[in-house]
Amino acid sequence: MNSASIQTIRSDGDIVVARQTGRKIAEDVGFSRADQALIATAISELARNIVVYANSGEMEISPVETVSRSGVRVTAQDYGPGILDIKAALADGFSTGGSLGLGLPGTRRIVDEFDIQSVPGEGVTVTIVKWIGR
Amino acid sequence: MTRRVPILRQNGILIASIQEELSDGDILALQSRILSDVVSINAKAVVIDVSALDVLDSFGTRTLTEIASSVELRGARTIIVGIQPEVAMAMVLLGLDFRNIATAFDLDHAFDLLRAA
Amino acid sequence: MPQVISSSVTAEPSVDEAALYFDISQADKELVSHLESTSDEMGDILIESFYAHIMGHEEAAQHFRDESHLERVKRGQKRYFADLITAPLDDAYIEDRRRIGQIHERARVSPTLYIGAYSYYLTRLGDHVRQTMKDDPEQAFAIAFALMKLAHFDMALALETFVSAREDTIQAREREISELPTPVLKLQDGLLLIPVVGTLDSFRARALTLQLLEGIREHRARAVVLDITGVAAVDSAVANHLIQSMAAARLMGAQSVLTGLSAEVAQSLVKVGVTGEALNTAGDLQSGIVLATKLMHG
Ligand SMILES: Nc1ncnc2c1ncn2[C@@H]1O[C@H](COP(=O)(O)OP(=O)(O)O)[C@@H](O)[C@H]1O
Ligand SMILES: [Mg+2]
Repeated sequence: MNSASIQTIRSDGDIVVARQTGRKIAEDVGFSRADQALIATAISELARNIVVYANSGEMEISPVETVSRSGVRVTAQDYGPGILDIKAALADGFSTGGSLGLGLPGTRRIVDEFDIQSVPGEGVTVTIVKWIGR
Repeated sequence: MTRRVPILRQNGILIASIQEELSDGDILALQSRILSDVVSINAKAVVIDVSALDVLDSFGTRTLTEIASSVELRGARTIIVGIQPEVAMAMVLLGLDFRNIATAFDLDHAFDLLRAA
Repeated sequence: MPQVISSSVTAEPSVDEAALYFDISQADKELVSHLESTSDEMGDILIESFYAHIMGHEEAAQHFRDESHLERVKRGQKRYFADLITAPLDDAYIEDRRRIGQIHERARVSPTLYIGAYSYYLTRLGDHVRQTMKDDPEQAFAIAFALMKLAHFDMALALETFVSAREDTIQAREREISELPTPVLKLQDGLLLIPVVGTLDSFRARALTLQLLEGIREHRARAVVLDITGVAAVDSAVANHLIQSMAAARLMGAQSVLTGLSAEVAQSLVKVGVTGEALNTAGDLQSGIVLATKLMHG
């Protein structure tokens, strides 16, 4: 059964659980091993951003299906401080956390659809979709 | 839950074999253990086997890079062993790399590299 | 909740588009239906003169195998003509027109011949309308224009189908070529040679990446020579793929050497920002193998 999963993300253990869940769902949907790794990596990056920058949030991972293709959708949502400059945050190497600054831009590179919404003071929602065979 | 990575000592070489997926905290714990072990046995090399990992994201990559840099400051070498094909590809696409850190296919390969050096 | 960027679905020409782009309305269909009473006879005359006209040309004539084939095509043509005048503009009509486009593509009728024929046909038809409606030139004019719209829509449908059928054919052929497995040869313990020949498009470059990385895993390779002597040119996307594959191979512990770069390939690599230091390259296969062996032993 392909079913959606909603998880609370507030510790580094949750990050591990989220990417394992994502990999499992991706496998069930029929993604190649290479794509499963990409999806798990993207989830890991988004979940860590929640823990590091917003303390806690939720992640929903679900299979998606249209007439012609199937894939996985991940929504990462938090109610933290939000991102002041989204454009900067999406650039390679930008980090306010003293880290590599590749989480958001890297994730964007490896998925097919990427949507980020943020209201400063209210939080961040990132939605990504990856389709099979693209 | 914390996962403790076994670290073997052999002729001045530290061999850390990651057995399962690690949380960020586990990786940080590994970092400090390796560094204190390098100092305490005055290791000449550190070999980190990551073949059990099926994700190496920006945090893991950065921490391993930090370990290698600190080890280098002690005059020792670091070799990262066993990155899986899917993991390697995901890293490259994400923009991650182990610049200036030696990599090896398996432990045999790593020891050959150490012998050659 | 943010909106997920929705995926675009490729639209096929539809009845709505007929109305939108070609300005075809029910009024047009009604105008044209005035020709219904004479359409049979008109069709016969038109089609006979049309085929008499094209059979005089070798390129056109070669499409007909024999007399009975020609007769069959003529009958189809008459039905096609009758439909233009009488059939309602619905999905079935569109389907039928698309089928005609496919037949033309399969028969390798060129767009020039197809549109040329349609144009010949239209002018004769216009003439006929003018002749038979001498007493009402206004109406004749309106009918001729309505016919023109419908004919243009027909042509668009047929050409759209023609193009997509042609694309399918080309893609199928490319896929065939790109699915040719690239051999992974073991030169000695730990050293692989991958000779890449033929066109290297993004699709095949991706397959090559997997073969390279899987090859390393399977053979426990420590070095790989990627010989692209047989590749004429690559675009920047493919150049990027190559670089990424080699970077991934390095992460797995295998050194890779790129040999046989043509001037064009070298240029593409430079364009995506590659320098000689970042990439191991060698002029020919022989020196590539020497370099790879050296790198392999640290
Ligand atoms: N959920 C979030 N809440 C607030 N700020 C965020 C969030 N996610 C990312 N950011 C901001 O975007 C920057 C870039 O993020 P990322 O690309 O993941 O790199 P890194 O985490 O290494 O800094 C972060 O440094 C931070 O300023
Ligand atoms: Mg991050």
